Amino acid sequence: MSVETENLEQLVNRRYAHGFVTDIASEGLPPGLNEDVVRAISALKQEPEFLLEWRLRAYRQWLEMTEPEWAHVHYPRIDYNSISYYSAPKSDKDRPQSLEEVDPKLLETYDKLGIPLHERARLAGVAVDAVFDSVSVATTFKKKLSEAGVIFSSFSDAVREHPALVKKYLGSVVPQRDNYFAALNSAVFSDGSFVYIPKGVRCPMELSTYFRINAANTGQFERTLIIADEGSHVSYLEGCTAPMRDENQLHAAVVELVALDDAEIKYSTVQNWYPGDENGVGGIYNFVTKRGDCRGTNSKICWTQVETGSAITWKYPSCILRGDNSVGEFYSVAVANNYQQADTGTKMIHIGRNTSSTIVSKGISAGHAQNAYRGLVRVMPQASSARNHTQCDSLLIGKDCGAHTFPYMEIRNPSARIEHEATTSKISADQMFYCRQRGISEEDAVNMIVNGFCKEVFNELPMEFAVEAQALLNVSLEGAVG
Amino acid sequence: MNSQISIQELTRALHRLPGTEQTTERRRALQLFADHGFPGQREEDWKYTDLSSIAKISRTWLSADAEPDGPDLARIHAAMASIDAAWIVFANGSLLRDLSPGLSEPGVSASDAVELDVVAVPNRRDDPLSALNRALSRDGLRLQIKGDNAAARPIGILTLDAAQTAVSSSQVRVDIELAPGSAARFVELHLSTGEHEHYSNCVVNLVANPASSCDYVRIQQRDINHSQTARLNLRLQQDSHVRHAAFDLGGKLTRNDLQVDLVGQGASCVLDGLYFGVPGRHIDNHIRVDHCVGPSTSMQDYRGILTGKCRGVWNGKAVVHKGADGTDATQSNHNLLLSEHAEINAKPELEIYAEDVKCAHGTTVGQLDEQAIYYLRTRGIDESAARRILTGAFAAIIVEKSPIPELLGILNEKVVAELQKIAPGVVS
Amino acid sequence: MLKIRNLDASIGDTQILRGLSLNVNAGEVHAIMGPNGSGKSTLAQVIAGHDDYVVTGGSITFKGEDLVPLAPEARAREGIFLGFQYPVEIPGVNNAYLLKAAVNAKRKHQGLGEIDAFEFLKLAREKMTMLDMDPKFLHRGVNQGFSGGEKKRNEILQMAMLEPELAILDETDSGLDIDALKAVAGGINALRDPARAIILVTHYQRLLDYVEPDHIHVLSEGRIVRSGDKSLAHELEDKGYEWLQDIASAG
Repeated sequence: MSVETENLEQLVNRRYAHGFVTDIASEGLPPGLNEDVVRAISALKQEPEFLLEWRLRAYRQWLEMTEPEWAHVHYPRIDYNSISYYSAPKSDKDRPQSLEEVDPKLLETYDKLGIPLHERARLAGVAVDAVFDSVSVATTFKKKLSEAGVIFSSFSDAVREHPALVKKYLGSVVPQRDNYFAALNSAVFSDGSFVYIPKGVRCPMELSTYFRINAANTGQFERTLIIADEGSHVSYLEGCTAPMRDENQLHAAVVELVALDDAEIKYSTVQNWYPGDENGVGGIYNFVTKRGDCRGTNSKICWTQVETGSAITWKYPSCILRGDNSVGEFYSVAVANNYQQADTGTKMIHIGRNTSSTIVSKGISAGHAQNAYRGLVRVMPQASSARNHTQCDSLLIGKDCGAHTFPYMEIRNPSARIEHEATTSKISADQMFYCRQRGISEEDAVNMIVNGFCKEVFNELPMEFAVEAQALLNVSLEGAVG
Repeated sequence: MNSQISIQELTRALHRLPGTEQTTERRRALQLFADHGFPGQREEDWKYTDLSSIAKISRTWLSADAEPDGPDLARIHAAMASIDAAWIVFANGSLLRDLSPGLSEPGVSASDAVELDVVAVPNRRDDPLSALNRALSRDGLRLQIKGDNAAARPIGILTLDAAQTAVSSSQVRVDIELAPGSAARFVELHLSTGEHEHYSNCVVNLVANPASSCDYVRIQQRDINHSQTARLNLRLQQDSHVRHAAFDLGGKLTRNDLQVDLVGQGASCVLDGLYFGVPGRHIDNHIRVDHCVGPSTSMQDYRGILTGKCRGVWNGKAVVHKGADGTDATQSNHNLLLSEHAEINAKPELEIYAEDVKCAHGTTVGQLDEQAIYYLRTRGIDESAARRILTGAFAAIIVEKSPIPELLGILNEKVVAELQKIAPGVVS
Repeated sequence: MLKIRNLDASIGDTQILRGLSLNVNAGEVHAIMGPNGSGKSTLAQVIAGHDDYVVTGGSITFKGEDLVPLAPEARAREGIFLGFQYPVEIPGVNNAYLLKAAVNAKRKHQGLGEIDAFEFLKLAREKMTMLDMDPKFLHRGVNQGFSGGEKKRNEILQMAMLEPELAILDETDSGLDIDALKAVAGGINALRDPARAIILVTHYQRLLDYVEPDHIHVLSEGRIVRSGDKSLAHELEDKGYEWLQDIASAG
């Protein structure tokens, strides 16, 4: 408490001092969270008044909320006052100057993942001026996008350049008080991505955070907003297969998707944050709120995720099927090895008429990990002719891990057709013997069978991503067998 | 509405029990219930079932001074005649020894209930409704089964509750122990009568010792303004087998908790159920199977037919504990929603901490197959009859698996009667 | 090539093979016959190295090397192929992918480089034409949704691709209609080679009408009770297995 008071005093005294913002910009905020921290973040980003008010409302609501405990995960209490809510971007001189200075273990993993040489430097955080390729590539892409009228920028830029769009859609899918972590994010979010696809436009390329060089350090409270206007189409890729290290343990991102009439959003994620070591020490807490609103008639939102990283994953990319004939899809591979804990799944809320949803979830548990699928399919009384098919399979590798399935079905319309299937088993001994009899090693056989198990989900990923995801799966399960 | 009942109210009720000593055990249970109250919807297991109406009824009967209604002998005799069983009769929670030939059936020895150690997972006794039952049950019964009675007529447990003159409640408790290698069959029938509201809270504990087997059918046909919470705890030892089928064909609010602990290798259970939702009914089945060791097997298969403003809840869970390798657990739950305002909340859960397991569940919510209806109509059957036939076929899958084949006739009769009732509602 | 001496093998607490001895040389085709439960399939699995079976006595050597301590994949790379009675389905794993991985595992063991995708596909298509298989099977999940006949043809395809020195075909003829049987038999005959030994495990003599064995052994209660040339198959067909059991119990 005393630390907080001290910070408060400092901030109150210095709030309007000119030098303050630049100090923080180069040094970061001291640990602690209060209204003045929220004001400081907003001021640093030179945000309009409405956004500051919005952040403050979120903060006040967050104060009244309690951290959720229902998930099948365990972790020590988080001290929210020990976290710094704004850290300064690393200057180039603090970064490795070349690949020779990068941890060889990291480079070895890049090698296993088959990451092209020219990308490794950027991924390893080598100083920007050393990374020529991605800069030039990004410039070319930017040009192409602006020709199509697509807005793709950092969230901060969007607030400055398109405040009306931000004001209209921000929080319209995930309200500030939606849940504890979303409220926290709403109060202190650092940066993120903003995408707007105009009416009738088919985005000319896959959008990826990869090309967004300005937002290299979006930090632990990322905010993404994607709006697909009528008849538009976009495919967005988040994350990458390369292992992501970060000194911040808590990550609480919010992603909001809005699809208007006849629009389609495909959102693919590969999450490979640091999972902690083989004894469960360290690792990221990944508490994410992702939700898509199929607001328009005939709209479609498809979530595909490959989750292999993080010590704890708590995430339920969801679809609100509000528009008539709207479609929601969720394809997920979640791998938990060593002491990782994952509680992930989706919610499909059927509101409009003739809506349909598909859920395919593949969970793999190994080591001492706990892996839970948690999903909700809700059909509202007015949602006539709703359809859902859920397939939810778990694979167990080893005797000390856990695989859990918690599906909720709340059906209130008699024309709904809902089918849910789930299986849990270990890798079949017959399959293993068959592969080994063909001369394939035990480890390769496991990789092959596990990849086959996930095939349906990988098929939904963009081609290159799918190939990397397979390699990632193998790396993630290293040491799980034998 | 507050679901807490004060210790004073409860203690008064305890004092009014005829001839019951205020034992320490009862007082402890009373306190436990007073501390917790009726479970609330914030508790995950009670998310979809609101007991506040039962809490309200309970306040009324707890403060009533009147003695409960006397037994409705005509109904009792009619019920006993409907099924060929060695009956044991409870009326408003009191054991009617004179009407209970089942107490002296060969192979059965009966005594006052001493709660069996059915609890594999600690603290399960602390369930507040079990505590309420332990505190306020008038007569507990303990049955010990010896020898192979698989071919004998089933033992019948009839509970008939009456609320003709006032709101009433009953707490029935039966403990059953199957000796090693023994076999027995049970049919449990729950009926009720009376204009006033009634709340029944029933607990049955059954321990199947090694190599014993048990076939068990429970039929609940309470009046539409009567509610119940019922718990069956099964503990299965090595190579014991239990087949249980539950038919919920009546009642206003019904909540059944079926807890199975598979604690011996080679133990297996088959748990079937059929429930009908009609306007004004709330029917909640919670099943949890704990595979504590392996190999062990459990199969759950429940079906629901819902029509009118009603709600069905199905929560089936299999927990496979660490080391319970060789577990095979399946769950299946199928629901027909036949009209607007009917609601189903289904939650098939798996919690697995062992490796060598085979677990699967399948759940569906849907309607009758329009193709099949069309097919029947081309054969000259009118549409409503076609719908009734197909709904009947959906239900028959459970009826026909009845662990006690002699009951097929009466189960069919009862199911058909329910189908007739919902037939007017069977329009798309 | 394969020498089995007084082999005892068990599954769990049950002993299945009891002092079985067998010699198989390169270029020979042996048929192992016998009633259900005589230990035919066990013998096949024990040679391939299935974990469920434990060798409790005797020895198996392959090209002079002790097989017993080797893992199944090591035996496969040494040139032992088992055609499964019930080929296993592996959902999501592409048939071509498995085949290529298997071929390359063996090549690597032999110190050869990996086969390139083009060469692999060319080879696979050739072999499939020989077996009258539709090339689309290459791109389906391993045995996933295959009919009984397709699964057995797929086994022979794998054998053709892996070019084993010793192929054990466990009930490869079971569940096949006459056309499929002819195709499978044709495949086996095409793979007869002076450098390769083949063991056919079968219940019926039907397959032997199409693949002529050099030696026939009859198994009963875990050991070989009678060996002979192809005429033994006809004798068995006429007299049935009971006749042999009498011999076994008499001996």
